[in-house]
Amino acid sequence: MSFMRRTPQLLHEDHQATIVVIEALDQLLARAKRAAPDVRDPAVNKTLSQVASAIREEVSGHFAFEEDELFTRLEDAGDVGIGMHLREEHKAILPLGEQVSTLASGALETGFTDKGWTEFRVLAGELIERMFAHIQKEEMALLPMLDDLLDPETDMTLSTAYSDSH
Amino acid sequence: MSMPGAFLGGAKNRLLPASLPFRFFVAAAIFHILAWLVLFAGAADLSGFVGGSGAILAALHLLTLGVFALTAIGASYQLLPIATRQPLSRTWPARASFWVIMPGIPVLVFGMIDGGAMALTVGGVLVSLGLLVFAVLTADNLRRATSMPIVAAHGWGALLALLGVIVIGLALILDFDLGFLGDHQGMALLHMGLAVFGFMGLLVLGFSQVLIPMFVLSRALPPRYGWTHLGLTIAGLLAFGIGIALGDQRVITVAGVIGFLAGGVYVWLMRNALKSSMRKRLGDSFVLIKASWVFLLLGLLIGFGLVAGMDIPNGAALFGFVVLVGWMLSFLMGILQRIIPFLASMHVEGKSGRPPLLSDLTPAMPLKIHLICHFSAFALCSIGIVLDIDLAVQIGALVGFAGAVAFATFVAIVIRKLTSTAD
Repeated sequence: MSFMRRTPQLLHEDHQATIVVIEALDQLLARAKRAAPDVRDPAVNKTLSQVASAIREEVSGHFAFEEDELFTRLEDAGDVGIGMHLREEHKAILPLGEQVSTLASGALETGFTDKGWTEFRVLAGELIERMFAHIQKEEMALLPMLDDLLDPETDMTLSTAYSDSH
Repeated sequence: MSMPGAFLGGAKNRLLPASLPFRFFVAAAIFHILAWLVLFAGAADLSGFVGGSGAILAALHLLTLGVFALTAIGASYQLLPIATRQPLSRTWPARASFWVIMPGIPVLVFGMIDGGAMALTVGGVLVSLGLLVFAVLTADNLRRATSMPIVAAHGWGALLALLGVIVIGLALILDFDLGFLGDHQGMALLHMGLAVFGFMGLLVLGFSQVLIPMFVLSRALPPRYGWTHLGLTIAGLLAFGIGIALGDQRVITVAGVIGFLAGGVYVWLMRNALKSSMRKRLGDSFVLIKASWVFLLLGLLIGFGLVAGMDIPNGAALFGFVVLVGWMLSFLMGILQRIIPFLASMHVEGKSGRPPLLSDLTPAMPLKIHLICHFSAFALCSIGIVLDIDLAVQIGALVGFAGAVAFATFVAIVIRKLTSTAD
């Protein structure tokens, strides 16, 4: 997708970056299946490192920006539902993301036990599914609506603030 | 409580009540079963079919009207307002269109089997009325469209083709009794061409611009290629119509070339979407969708071979089967198994009050059975057509029937989950 306004474009670029991490995580689960992977493997190590940092830091900042700056504006414009729905998804995704990040950080230090890997697989699998569906909804519904909603001045203010916060 | 009912636009109400699109999908799943059953009953006539009333014509319309049109209408009512960023002006005509078309289809199909003029006329009028209501609602939405001009343009093209389909379809029905058409078979061909490549084809090509990149999370598709396949499709259909009207085989051949180019540009565009996809594991739905693109090109090649005078055994029937079952049915079944759980997820509350997972709403086994049966049925029936083996068509139809039952089971399970937790 490409957008006229900078703010949805920045969020879109965030989505692309998140998809790269989530896709790598998905590939990791698909390759390893039930057997815990060796965290010394460079590919496994890289994916877990990305998961450990990106989800906790990037995603929470992205969600907070949407909730504080964008959903409120949509609500003021009369579009209440989308913000409520996406907030609920954020509420489901963030704790999952934090759990997966924590488990990934732990695994990077000590490796996976069989039990730890099983827990990681279940939580990461749910995170992957929720994140893909969430991004699809935002790409299809939220970002085009922002293109319509934001005037150039507000867009510049928001996008600058968002860029500075990264 | 989840806030599903207002998603995708809140006060603008771009998410319809679940019952509206789902009634079309349920009916399509039932007509899908009936289409294979009727094909089984008329299996002996499939290989040599070139038109005329009977079980094959009935099975054809159960598929085109019952499955394709109802799926397209249900999906359009829900997806077009999202693409155009304009809500449906009213939802009651959309409901009314269902209650006119849905009973009209079995009446029309009964007339095709029975040959009764009354059933043909009543069924034809009911179906036409329902399609017209859909056309008016869709035209009103497209008129107000503020985004995605490429999708809107495909929508306008599809509506124009639909008007042609309705007018010619009613004329063909009256002609059974009155015999006023000079070239009944030619008009029937034009009716089919407009229905499959015009109405359905343009809707598929248009919605593909939005749905495929969304499903595979790919880059945006460059609109110029979308405009190219739209222009080529319209040009091909116009040339086909002129060729039929003039009875000029050369013009029809040109139409075949243009149609193949249109299909080629579309498939190339879709391939590019897949190449830039950020999602690697696309699931079984994309096995169907990717196969449908191969069958579109194969069908167009067979069609081109036929108009160019090549000797393809039972070529007319093979062309129709590859295009209808190979391309269109495969594509729609692939898309439906993605959008049915997706739409359901907007209307249900998940475990622990959290939004539901799509995988919780998507029973995997019925879809796996459908996938295997669908391709097996396609292969068996195609072999039966080419080699003139009625038994192969019969077995293929039974396997297709089993697949359709599996698909209907999938729809039923999703709806049961939807109704048990809906707000």
